[in-house]
Amino acid sequence: MSPTSGRLNLLLSHEAMLAILLAVTLLILSLLSDSFFSTANLLNQVRLTAEIGLITLAMTLVIITGGIDLSVGSIAGLSAIMLGLLWQKAGLPLPLAAVTSLGIAVLAGLGNGVIITRFRVPPLIATLATMAFYRGLAEGFSQSRSVRGYPEGFYILGQGEVLGLPTQVWILIVAAVLVGTALSATAFGRTVFAIGANETAARFSSLPVDRVKLIVYGLSGFMSGLSGLLLVSRVTTTRSDMGMGWELDAITAVVLGGASIFGGRGTVLGSVLALALIQCLKSGLSLAGVKADGTIVLIGLFLIGAVLLGNLMDRIAAR
Amino acid sequence: MIPLRVTDVSKSYGGVQALKPTSFDVRAGEIHALLGENGAGKSTLIRIMSGLIAPDSGAIEIDGEIVHFRSPRDATRHGVVTVHQELLLFPDLSIAENICMADDAGPFGHIDRDAQVRKARQLLAELDSADLDPEMPVRHLSVAQRQRVEIARALGRQAKVLIMDEPTASLADADVARLVAIVQRLRGRGVGIVYVSHKLSEVRLLADRVTVLRDGRFVDTREAKGMTEADMIALMVGRSISELYPKGESRIGAEVLRVDGLTLAPRVRNISFTLRAGEILGLAGLVGAGRTEVARLLFGLDRPSSGRIFLDGREVSVSSPEAAVALGIAYVPEDRGAQGLVKTMPVSANVTMASLGQLLRGPFLSRSTEYAAGAEAIRRLGIRAPRGPQHLAGKLSGGNQQKVVIAKWLRTAPRVLILDEPTRGVDVGAKAEIHALMGDLTRQGLAILMISSELPEVLGMSDRVLVVSQGRMTGLFERADATPERVGAAMVAEMQEATAS
Repeated sequence: MSPTSGRLNLLLSHEAMLAILLAVTLLILSLLSDSFFSTANLLNQVRLTAEIGLITLAMTLVIITGGIDLSVGSIAGLSAIMLGLLWQKAGLPLPLAAVTSLGIAVLAGLGNGVIITRFRVPPLIATLATMAFYRGLAEGFSQSRSVRGYPEGFYILGQGEVLGLPTQVWILIVAAVLVGTALSATAFGRTVFAIGANETAARFSSLPVDRVKLIVYGLSGFMSGLSGLLLVSRVTTTRSDMGMGWELDAITAVVLGGASIFGGRGTVLGSVLALALIQCLKSGLSLAGVKADGTIVLIGLFLIGAVLLGNLMDRIAAR
Repeated sequence: MIPLRVTDVSKSYGGVQALKPTSFDVRAGEIHALLGENGAGKSTLIRIMSGLIAPDSGAIEIDGEIVHFRSPRDATRHGVVTVHQELLLFPDLSIAENICMADDAGPFGHIDRDAQVRKARQLLAELDSADLDPEMPVRHLSVAQRQRVEIARALGRQAKVLIMDEPTASLADADVARLVAIVQRLRGRGVGIVYVSHKLSEVRLLADRVTVLRDGRFVDTREAKGMTEADMIALMVGRSISELYPKGESRIGAEVLRVDGLTLAPRVRNISFTLRAGEILGLAGLVGAGRTEVARLLFGLDRPSSGRIFLDGREVSVSSPEAAVALGIAYVPEDRGAQGLVKTMPVSANVTMASLGQLLRGPFLSRSTEYAAGAEAIRRLGIRAPRGPQHLAGKLSGGNQQKVVIAKWLRTAPRVLILDEPTRGVDVGAKAEIHALMGDLTRQGLAILMISSELPEVLGMSDRVLVVSQGRMTGLFERADATPERVGAAMVAEMQEATAS
């Protein structure tokens, strides 16, 4: 997956390890609770994870460039609010309102990219600021009022099924394949890795560093906006606090998936497996009667374990 | 009494013996040069002597007593201090704080700043560097000045043995002269000095004894007196290199690049020159004279405030590195590790990085074409990469890394190749290979602009030499007229005017 092919085997084994861990977790949870290991429940879990999942895909690219995007949850909230306002207050047809709010989300993401590339603000600072800014916009526009009563057809997105599977499953699969392919098999993906591994050398090699970063943050905005819409359709209402804390869920999945927070390393497959693992733990443990705080502790332990393991593998690879 | 002696030390890394049993010693008041190509085992021996790694076998003796260094700090306590190639100073602390660190802390960790400044000033004066203000942050210092701060720090720690790893690798000639004086002064005070350098002229000037390593093996220790550079090279490479600078005859063709009044104050002021096909134009000057800045302008990394650039007689605008590559301009930067390579990527990914378009099959990169490009580069430039195109670039020796960077640019089929310090930190064998390659390329009609801090390299390789000083052109010499004296005088020309006025 990564061009650092000397490490390819180790990376694959990181993903293999996640897959095994996921299988073991599924097995244990199915023993703990009868209702967990059913097709209906598993598909429902995908439905619940789809929003974070889309953001995780984009976050994988952001983190491989050595950046971070803390504003994803706020952008999701902003696009959700804009959808409600444009449809209900401005009277736009719903499809047009959806496309427009997606456009706003992309602009918000590009805004991050411009601040980072043009003004050389570190991504952590830039998106920390826009996290507050975009959330503030969402709250300002909404005036703390929620929007409800969307037309029935809109709920296909968040609650419906296509060819017998939840709509989100299809969206997630298509998005994961597209992003994964772009990352592993195109010049764009190669540039993403090169930026994270050595941005100066990438620039000195005439790679379009700033353009690729803009695309990556723009994509992050797009995915955030899309997940905002999915959430509205799933819960049938629009509130300005939607998407709070999503950034941490996405970052957790990417890091657990084997990406280096310093950039230059990571895979879409790893991130997706890690996300599935986290979701299984969350839902399975709650079904098994473990309290929410216990679940968080366990996820924290998994994360620390993954980072330690990554360090260990680096040391082995360095020999 | 021998301040430092190692006997039959060896070291293996995962099955590869980096250093076979080797003995080495330094006497008080002696400069002992350690020579060898990259990968010869010098760094391993230095790491053992400075306490960074423990040897697998053998003994270390300080003043005749056997010791075990557990850490560099431990070695320092025994009076063995190392000045590493990449200087290890804290940029935001002052000179005095860097020199003293926490050495003189009071019982509660309190640091007496005035005492630190006094101590620093005294140590700097001993190094003939009273011009450095102890209270200035290290961030503002040049590489040469930082080095003097490191040496002062070593002196402050009562160093009996000072290990200097390529101290002149990134210094211009004027700074080298000053460093040489300082090293001789330290010898006069009875410090034993281990001196590692690729610059044999310095070694011949400074060393009392010379020890040569090759392929992890001890070759010989000899008195330096009477040894020529050719003798040293013969010991290092195991054969003699008759021609150090094989700039062959190449037919110089039509003008390719013309620069007219290029300016980006303060580092580049009104620079004009032409570069012809098949020609090597040497760009000489002191470090900081504006040489690299000229290259950055030509490669689109910076934009000039005024001045024009012509390619084949047509005025062009070089707005970015992408534009430069499209125009056929390539730049091998001075800092291989930071600017030239992505060390965590394999050779194949590095050599194709500036020409990804050539790998595209539809929207996708072709892995097989990429692999073939890596193999082609390895074959054409003689890159020694045991794992082939999959070998990680960062795990190659300096010379082979440099060849990877050059290979990357040759794939873009450039018309103008800018080489910034093409052989810095490169061992003698690879250096000769790079020089031979430059000759081949000019015979194929490539125009080369070469920046180098090594005067013999500039004079040996260039068809013409352009000299800059403080951002201005101070001389342009044909090969026949480019004597060390004339070029050297031009390198410091502007400075003298500045001091005279």
